[in-house]
Amino acid sequence: MRRRPSRRRRYIPLLQRVAGLNVLLVLASVVITVVVLAPRKISSFAVDEEIVVLVAAVGLVVLANVYLLRRVVGPVQALTALARRVDLTSPGQRISAAQPTSEAGELAVTFNEMLQRLQTERWEATGRVLAAQEAERLRIAQELHDQVGQQLTAVLLGLSRVQSRAPAELQDDVLAVQDVVRAGLEDVRRIAIELRPEALDDLGLASALAVLAERSSERLGLNVSVEISADLPQLGTEAELVVYRVAQEALTNVARHSGVDVAELTLAHEHPGTTLSVRDGGRGLPPGNAAGTGMRGMRERATLIGARLQIRNVDADGGCEVRLHLPLKDSP
Amino acid sequence: MITGAVDPAPNYVELPETRAAQTRLLVVDDHAAVRAGLRDLLKDEGDFDVVAAVASADAAMSIAEREPIDVAVVDYQLGRRNGLWVSRKLKRLPSPPAVLIYSAYADGVLAAAAVVAQADAIVSKGGLGSELCDQIRRVARGHSGMRPMPAWLGDTIRSRFGHQEQAVFGMLLAGIDTGKIAATLGLSEADLESRLWAMLHQLEAPHSEYRVADVAGNAA
Repeated sequence: MRRRPSRRRRYIPLLQRVAGLNVLLVLASVVITVVVLAPRKISSFAVDEEIVVLVAAVGLVVLANVYLLRRVVGPVQALTALARRVDLTSPGQRISAAQPTSEAGELAVTFNEMLQRLQTERWEATGRVLAAQEAERLRIAQELHDQVGQQLTAVLLGLSRVQSRAPAELQDDVLAVQDVVRAGLEDVRRIAIELRPEALDDLGLASALAVLAERSSERLGLNVSVEISADLPQLGTEAELVVYRVAQEALTNVARHSGVDVAELTLAHEHPGTTLSVRDGGRGLPPGNAAGTGMRGMRERATLIGARLQIRNVDADGGCEVRLHLPLKDSP
Repeated sequence: MITGAVDPAPNYVELPETRAAQTRLLVVDDHAAVRAGLRDLLKDEGDFDVVAAVASADAAMSIAEREPIDVAVVDYQLGRRNGLWVSRKLKRLPSPPAVLIYSAYADGVLAAAAVVAQADAIVSKGGLGSELCDQIRRVARGHSGMRPMPAWLGDTIRSRFGHQEQAVFGMLLAGIDTGKIAATLGLSEADLESRLWAMLHQLEAPHSEYRVADVAGNAA
């Protein structure tokens, strides 16, 4: 979360202003009362006593005034404080006990409503962006497979034919070209799978994660041990996709930043809810680590399904863990 | 499982190449360039006779119903109906051909679905032409070209099916024919038939549109 440097105040706070004015008014009225309405009494009474009573009365009025004003201004200050630190990606931050019993309370209630609206709008916008992104990935994956992949297959078949007729001195050349085409086909296939976790569509989350781990070792040189609870509840397609993408991103991060080539992936049924954890024994997060786009993407996906994402160092020696906790769902 | 046209002689007597000794092939692929490539490649092989190369599942069925076919080489993706549908249909013909699924994705759930569809082999589109020809000869001789399934896939399949379906799957994997499976499990042929279709539906990619959130349903 970014924090702006706190600005210097260029005004007298409301509480002090109103309280100050009130004090002035009280003093003025006391002075007027004494001087205008009872000018002669001043000399005939003991001045000290009178002043003590007067000062005590004024002090009492001022204190009562400040106390009452505080109650009115309190919500406004809470509002300012919340507005400073509010983070739209973590829901549920509101001004507590806001009641529309005063203007300030009304403002607090309205502020809470505005936060709710902003969060909903942001949630919807993020949902649309991510859905569009998934749809685009699917389209590219299909296009790659249906067009480029098929054409490369045709080239490979043609080359096989050429090879069977080619004179002996050309055999090696044809074989070399065939290898290049096969590598190209393998790349197309790999990219299509990364874009679109077909295993998720086909086999469900547990198997898709197993496939992901297998591919991570092939592609990233990462040795991933997978442990998945047998009694996982149905998470629903959206949540499954989020879990898969978070695991994918987390494993990529391990391969890129941790400096080790071993990772643990667990998906556990923890009552209540389900938790995905990807951890490594690497160098851990750098101090003051700023959220990269990948991390931000993970958080946004998590927020969408009401899940909580934590990224933390396991202990002082290093090692990083990405935890995604999905609260319990009543029904799939 | 295969028609008697292929010579399964164990002690390989060199026979003069006659049309009758050739393996009759049907090629089904909806991509024109791949279809042409397959046809030309297979035609070059002396022991293959490409009876037809068609683009659709329906065209494949109408050929197979008219002409004897030994091996059908079928692309997995065929537009509306896929290669597994063709495989199931071909296997119900009076003298069914061997079926070889030719697919970009030769592993994963497709391997399991192909077992249920009673295909005899899956060949990757990323393989060499000679590998394809070898597999065609293998299945033409009545051998299965299915590779053993990775453990995670087996687990998944088991978790998806009920007890009886698991039994059916296991027997199919072992290459036991449907008549025996039905008899073993005390099912009628029609019962087993509908069960196989249901299993295939369960395994086949639902191609579900993943929506990230309900609110975004119409965003794509």
